[in-house]
Amino acid sequence: MSKDLQRIRNIGISAHIDSGKTTLTERILFYAQKIHAIHDVKGKDGVGATMDHMELERERGITITSASTYVEWKDHHLNVIDTPGHVDFTIEVERALRVLDGAILVLCSVAGVQSQSITVDRQMRRYNVPRIAFINKCDRTGANPERVTAALRDKLNHNAVLMQIPIGLEADFEGVVDLVDMKALYFRGDNGETVEEGPIPAELQEQAEAARSTMLDAASMFSDELLEAALEDAATPEMIYEAVRQGVLSLDLTPVLIGSAYKNKGVQPLLDAVNSYLPSPTDVPIEAVDLDNDNEKVTLTSDADKQTIAYAFKLEDGRYGQLTFVRVYQGTLTKGDTVYRASTGKKIKIGRLVRIHANSMEDIVTASAGDIVGLFGIDCHSGETFLGDGPRLAMTSMHVPDPVISLSVNPVDSKAQTNMSKALQRFTKEDPTFRVRLDIESGETIISGMGELHLEVYVERMKREYAAEVETGAPQVAYREAISRRADFDYVHKKQTGGSGQYARVIGSIEPLETGDYEFVNEVKGGNIPTEYIPACDKGFQSSLEKGRLIGFPVVGVKATLTDGNSHAVDSSDMAFMVASRAAFRQAYQRAKPQILEPIMKVEVEGPSEFQGAIYRTLMQRRGNVLGSTEDGGFARVEAAVPLAEMFGYSTTLRSETQGKAEFTMEFLKYGPAPSDVTEELRKEYGGQITEEDD
Amino acid sequence: MTEVMISLRRSPRKLLERDGHPGPGPGSMAVVMARAGVGKTAFLVGVGLDAMLAGQKVLHISLDGSVDKVRAWYDDILMAMLTTDKKLEHATDIQLAVERRRHIHTYQGDTFTVERLRDAVTMLRDVMHFEPEVILVDDMEVVDRDTTAAIKEVAKEAGAELWMTCQIFRDGPQGEAGHLPPPVDQIEDLTDLAFRLDSYETKNRLHVLKDRDQMLDEDLHILLDPQTHLVTVALGT
Repeated sequence: MSKDLQRIRNIGISAHIDSGKTTLTERILFYAQKIHAIHDVKGKDGVGATMDHMELERERGITITSASTYVEWKDHHLNVIDTPGHVDFTIEVERALRVLDGAILVLCSVAGVQSQSITVDRQMRRYNVPRIAFINKCDRTGANPERVTAALRDKLNHNAVLMQIPIGLEADFEGVVDLVDMKALYFRGDNGETVEEGPIPAELQEQAEAARSTMLDAASMFSDELLEAALEDAATPEMIYEAVRQGVLSLDLTPVLIGSAYKNKGVQPLLDAVNSYLPSPTDVPIEAVDLDNDNEKVTLTSDADKQTIAYAFKLEDGRYGQLTFVRVYQGTLTKGDTVYRASTGKKIKIGRLVRIHANSMEDIVTASAGDIVGLFGIDCHSGETFLGDGPRLAMTSMHVPDPVISLSVNPVDSKAQTNMSKALQRFTKEDPTFRVRLDIESGETIISGMGELHLEVYVERMKREYAAEVETGAPQVAYREAISRRADFDYVHKKQTGGSGQYARVIGSIEPLETGDYEFVNEVKGGNIPTEYIPACDKGFQSSLEKGRLIGFPVVGVKATLTDGNSHAVDSSDMAFMVASRAAFRQAYQRAKPQILEPIMKVEVEGPSEFQGAIYRTLMQRRGNVLGSTEDGGFARVEAAVPLAEMFGYSTTLRSETQGKAEFTMEFLKYGPAPSDVTEELRKEYGGQITEEDD
Repeated sequence: MTEVMISLRRSPRKLLERDGHPGPGPGSMAVVMARAGVGKTAFLVGVGLDAMLAGQKVLHISLDGSVDKVRAWYDDILMAMLTTDKKLEHATDIQLAVERRRHIHTYQGDTFTVERLRDAVTMLRDVMHFEPEVILVDDMEVVDRDTTAAIKEVAKEAGAELWMTCQIFRDGPQGEAGHLPPPVDQIEDLTDLAFRLDSYETKNRLHVLKDRDQMLDEDLHILLDPQTHLVTVALGT
C-alpha cells in the first residue's frame, strides 16, 4: 500500500440528493477492485449500494450517515467519505468537509445546480475545500453538460472549465473526449471496466479544439510555463495537469468532468482527475489552536514524527462498541500507544485501530498523518482532539447550528426505556445538532433537531437498532420570546417572617439587544447595591430569561441595566437580590412589549414550470413569504421564507399538488416575530403553562 | 412605521419628483443608461426600494442573476439607508415590509421571453394577489425594439410603470445630436423618461436626457454614492 503522503487523497463526494453520488461511490469501489459486484441504490437485487450500509438508508435510497472507505487507484491511496444529500443532515456534510482535503461536487446533467448543491458548495467554501465537478447522468433525456458548467459559473461563482466533452448525449452517450490528451475514451466491458482510447470522432474535432482552447486559456492563468507553451502550440499534458492543479489548490479553478456512473461511463477518468488535481495532505495548510495559550493558532505539518494530533469527526455504534472515525493530522497513532483527550486531558490507550470500508474493516497497527481511520474502545464525543505528548492543541471547533424543532418521546415499557437511554446517549454523541432534555414539568423526554425528517430518522433508528419502541408527541417548534422596547423597573423585595428578613431594591431597565442573547450592565454608583450582590442580580435576570411570560419559551436579545438600588445591613442577601431581580424583570417585561419569535425557514421548491402556480399556492397557504422565483429551461425554482410551524406535512402536500414532480429543501433562515393572530393562538395553547411558580 | 419608511426615502427618485421629473407613471417607461460598472443595478434597486417605502409593490426582473444576488443588493442598500438615518432599530420590521412588497423573478441562461414574463405577471396576480405597480427590468444585454415594446405592453396591461437599464459604450458610434445615444436610440420613441449616469470623481452624477416629449441634457446636480446609489449631495440645493 502506498503511504507516501503525496499520494494520499482524503476526498468527499457531495451533492444534491438524487444526483447519484452513492452510485458513483459504488462504481469507484468497483473499478478500484474494492468490491467485485455492483449493487445499485434501490437496485433490483435488493442488496443496495455498498456505502448505504444502514438498513434505513437502503430502504429509503438515501444516504444518511457518511460512511468512509478507502481505495487504491494508480498508486494513490484514496480515503473516500460518502456524504448525505438531505439538508436535514448537513452536520454530517460539515463534519466530513472539516476533515477532507478535497471533494468531488456531483451535479445532475439535467437538473444542474440545485438548491442543495448551493448549500453544499457554501459549506465547502467555508472550509476552503478545493473541488472538482462531475456532471453525472449524461445518459438522461435533457442532459446538457455545457449548461450545467455555465450554471456552475453563474450560480456558484466557480471558474468552471470543461476538461472533457461528451461523445453523444442522452441515449446516445458513448464516452468522452479528453481535452488534455486530445483522445476519445470509451468504456467497454459488462461494467465499463475497460477504458478504450481512440481518435476523436471527426464530427467532434472542431468542437474539441475549441473546448481545449478555452480550457488552456483558463489553465494558463496559473502557469507562465503553460501560457508560453500554449502560445507556441507546445503545451504538454504534464504542464496542463500542473497548472490546473495549482488553480484547484488555490480554489480559483474548478475542472469539470462528465459521465454517467449508472451507465459505467467516465468514472475512471474522474479518479485520474482526483489523483492529478486534488490536494494531498501536505498541500493543505492545517491549523490547530493552543488551548493553554489563549487559543493561539498553530500550524500543523503532516509529519509522522511530530506530536500526534488526531481529530474525531464521526462516531458509530457497532458490534464491537463505539467506532470513532479519526483523521490523523500530525504524528502517528499506533496500537497500544497512549494519547490524551484535549478537552479533559484524560489518558486513553489505543486498543484497536482499523481501516474502514463501509461496513467491513481491516485491523492495522499504525496510522500516520493524512490518514482517516477508525478507533475502537474509546469513549468520546465527536469533535474531540486526541494528542500525543506536547502542547494542548485542539482542532478548531465546527460550526454547529441550534436545533429548531422538538418532539417528545415516550418509551412504551421499561425495557424500551433502558434501550432508549442507550440510543439517545449514542445519538447525542454522534450528532451535535441532535439534543435531548428532560421536561421537568411533564416528565417527558424531549428530543430536538434540525427538521422533521432529522428527528424521524432518529426515532426509526431507536426502534431498529436499539429495539426501543417509543411513542412520539406532535413536533413542537422552538419558539423564542423577545422584548421590542425599553422598559424601566424599580422593585423592592421585602419579607419579614420572623428571624432575619429579606430586603433588596433594584432600579434599572431592560431593552432589546441587537446582537447576542443577553447582556448585563452594572451602572450602580456609590455602593447603593454592595458589589458582592451584583452577580446575584445578574443571575436573577438570567434565570428570568429561561421561561418567557408569554408562552414559556426562552427570552432572547435582552440587555439588562442596573442603575441603582438599596440594601439592608442585616436583611440583604444574594437570595434577596436574586428574587428582586426576577420580580423586577417580570414587572418590566409586559411594558417592554414582548413578542413571540418563530423560526423562519428558507424553503426552496423546484419543479417543472407548469407547476409554478401550484408551488406558489402551497407556500402561500403556509404563511409563506415568496422571496423570488427563477425560470431555468423548463424548470422553475421558488424561494420563500416560511414559518417552520407551517411546514409539517409539506412534502405530502407538495407531492399531491405537483404529481410528485417537485421537490423542496429547507434550512433555518432566522427568527422572526409571529403575527398577532398566531401569537394569540400560541398564547391560548401555551399560556396556561405559565404558573405563578414561574414567578 | 409608515412614517419611518417615508422618511427613509433617499433615492434620487424622490429628488426627481422635487425637480419636476416625476416617475414615468403607469404604462410608461424610464430608461437608465450608463457604461459598464457605473452602477445601473444599484440605481434600479434604489428606485425599487423608494417605491416600496412609499407603499408600492415592485416586481424586479433580472435576466442575469440569482434571486439571492438581487436580494443582497436590496438588503445592502436598505441597511445603508437605515444606518445613514440611524434607524437600525426598525430594520427587522422595514425589511419584512419591503419583502412583502417585492417579488424578484430571475431568468437563467437564455430562458427569458416576453411571453414567459406575461405568464409570470399573470400568475403573480392570480395566485399570489401580487399586482406590481413598478416593474424593474435589469441586465437586458441586447436592446431589441420589438422586445422592449412588448415588455412595455406587459407593464401597461398590468398598470405598472416600467424602469429598464441599458448599457452604453464609450467607443463606437455616438449617435445623432438631439437623440438618445446608441443603442438606446432604437427605443427612443418608446422611452418616456431617460437618464444617464456618469462617473464623476468618486461619485456618480445623474443627467436627464428625455422627459416625455422633450429632449434634454440637463445635469440634475445630484451626486450618488457609487456603492449604494444613495444621494450623497444634491448640488445647488
